[in-house]
Amino acid sequence: MSLDYVKATPGFEKYMPKDYRDLIEHGPFGKKVSVAQVGTFKEVLEEHPMCAGCAMTLFIRLSLIALPNPEDTITVGTAGCGRLALSQAAIPFVYGNYGDTNAVASGLKRGLMTRFPDKTKDVVVMAGDGGLADIGFSMLMHSWFRKEKFTTIMLDNEVYGNTGGQESGMTNKGSVLKMAPLGKKFEKIDMPDLAKTAGCAYVAVVVPNNPRRVEQSIKKAVLIAREVGPTYIQAYTSCNIEYAIPTDKVMEDAKNVENDRYQFKEYITEDAKQYLAEKWGYKEYAKKAIQTTEVAK
Amino acid sequence: MYLVANIDPQICGATSCTLCTQFCPEANTIQYDKVRKTAFVAVDRCKGCAQCVWVCDNMAKHHAIKMIMIDQLPEEFASKLTKTMSYEQEDLKSSPINK
Repeated sequence: MSLDYVKATPGFEKYMPKDYRDLIEHGPFGKKVSVAQVGTFKEVLEEHPMCAGCAMTLFIRLSLIALPNPEDTITVGTAGCGRLALSQAAIPFVYGNYGDTNAVASGLKRGLMTRFPDKTKDVVVMAGDGGLADIGFSMLMHSWFRKEKFTTIMLDNEVYGNTGGQESGMTNKGSVLKMAPLGKKFEKIDMPDLAKTAGCAYVAVVVPNNPRRVEQSIKKAVLIAREVGPTYIQAYTSCNIEYAIPTDKVMEDAKNVENDRYQFKEYITEDAKQYLAEKWGYKEYAKKAIQTTEVAK
Repeated sequence: MYLVANIDPQICGATSCTLCTQFCPEANTIQYDKVRKTAFVAVDRCKGCAQCVWVCDNMAKHHAIKMIMIDQLPEEFASKLTKTMSYEQEDLKSSPINK
């Protein structure tokens, strides 16, 4: 959980695999990297068994690049496709039981705050729509009600993709799937609004066909979660197997869905704006903070 | 035999938009060569999903990427495997977060 854990024992460097040496010498640890520099540094994510052309993989890859301090981050996941890639990253990964990701993350974050009071350690939950909106729903909501300071990222593929295509709470009304042959009978759960009501300091809805926007949203979410309160990001990461999308059309589908029902939305509280402006130099929020104080005078 | 992405260095080098490096779902697969100013594919990691082809054709509109059989790769790029790749570190700039 520090820069020391990505070092080889002196004298053994030449015996380490090339991937590991690249990670030590050219990885993102201790530096600030961005999506624009991709392809010129070694990413923390390694080869993984997720399907070819999966949009969820793309989103996870972008998120791991966007983490402000990868060396001081722990990811928490659960059963579902996302864990296949998350467990292959050079970031400590906790595999929660189905449903308890946010409870595990709450304990983890509190433990880290007690153990390392003078350091900042980030906890990021990354789980699917089933793991968060259906099975983990109560843990998720209660972590928000308690204002636990960590980031929750939902990888919303709108289906239980790993188990053969059952409908989830996040599936759209009317969607016909292999294990929902009559079509879904009720509406998609409105998680972003629930997050706002439950007290999240930052809520964003993103689609991975805009990598820079994904990066910015995740950076803001992780930074705000350090001091202000819980943050939530919902990402559309289509399942090209269950929804039968040809792999080369995945981004076209993401674009269509973005125009149809997944427009970029961002909600940020005044406290969070002020925190970003004062501590991290976000100019777009600094101006607004000044304007409001002038009005108050 | 199977298909992998192949980037035409001439077309890519003329624009260097780097969009494909950002849209590839696989990590460390489409890399950027700063000397030749072109993206290239680490073919041993490519899963052949052709998302980069769609991005290059429809978003960047450069038409520089084609799917080809792995035994028909041009020689210079066939040697671009993970084992032989090298990274250049000095160009890492600070992001806005680092201010």
